[in-house]
Amino acid sequence: MRASINRPPTPSAEEDRDKEPSLGEIINIKLLESGEKEKLMELLRERLVECGWRDEMKALCRAYARKKGRNNVTVDDLIHVITPKGRASVPDSVKAELLQRIRSFLMSTTLR
Amino acid sequence: MSSSKDAPLSPRSQLALSCFEELLDCAVADVASECHRIARLGLDRSVDAEEEELRVWAARAAAAAAAGGDHHHHPGGGGAAEEGGSKGGVDVFGQTHPAIAADVVECMNCGRPVVAGRFAPHLEKCMGKGRRARTKITRSSTAGRTRSSNGSAATSYSPYTTTANPNRGSIPNGVTDGGSGGARGDYSNHAPEGC
Repeated sequence: MRASINRPPTPSAEEDRDKEPSLGEIINIKLLESGEKEKLMELLRERLVECGWRDEMKALCRAYARKKGRNNVTVDDLIHVITPKGRASVPDSVKAELLQRIRSFLMSTTLR
Repeated sequence: MSSSKDAPLSPRSQLALSCFEELLDCAVADVASECHRIARLGLDRSVDAEEEELRVWAARAAAAAAAGGDHHHHPGGGGAAEEGGSKGGVDVFGQTHPAIAADVVECMNCGRPVVAGRFAPHLEKCMGKGRRARTKITRSSTAGRTRSSNGSAATSYSPYTTTANPNRGSIPNGVTDGGSGGARGDYSNHAPEGC
């Protein structure tokens, strides 16, 4: 028996998942396929620019890059720098608007 | 509708929230990526370190320009020795060039060595085709003198050859036959008529 034939099975994902896609995944797929995710992304970007969130994050990045030396920064660094502050500083109105749209989408898809 | 995180969320709300967070992560990654690019490319003008870099650049360009000016000789004379001009200073190889081309080329008309930066004006006068008033002067001096014979013109114009600087490429030298020995006969005396 050759070793090449008896391959070990492909390692499964670390999280325990059923073979059936979970509801979250189904929703995600529906979001993508319908193009709604793209629209939501555009809406979110637009709102974040309008409210100055983007500029705040860019300022944070600039300060970090200046401190660390601009050739020493990595994208991961910057993401870790921004994420906690970014999540906290999203305006409530923006969050509410996006959540509203997502919920209405969910209701429209799950009803079918 | 409760948007606060304290109240227990229905599964649907949880789903919506996780979806929103995913979108937010994308937005964060976008901003981070763009800022990373700006930082690495040095596009952010307000960084303190950049000012140092600019000073280094300016110093380098000035030093190169000064060194470049010394190396170029001017056998033809006439032109000023300018440093690396306003063209920005440095090319892709890191060299600076003087604003006025300093190479010396040979005029194909009169055969004289001319500084490249002064070549066009020289040619203008040399060939007598420009808008310059020189041609009129020669015309007035040739009026009354022999027109058909080129040989005698050489003697009549000899004063010019001794006084004028041959490297100047001044009109009489260029136009007359006897001026520098290289001019064609076509352009002496008759040049104004032809043009």
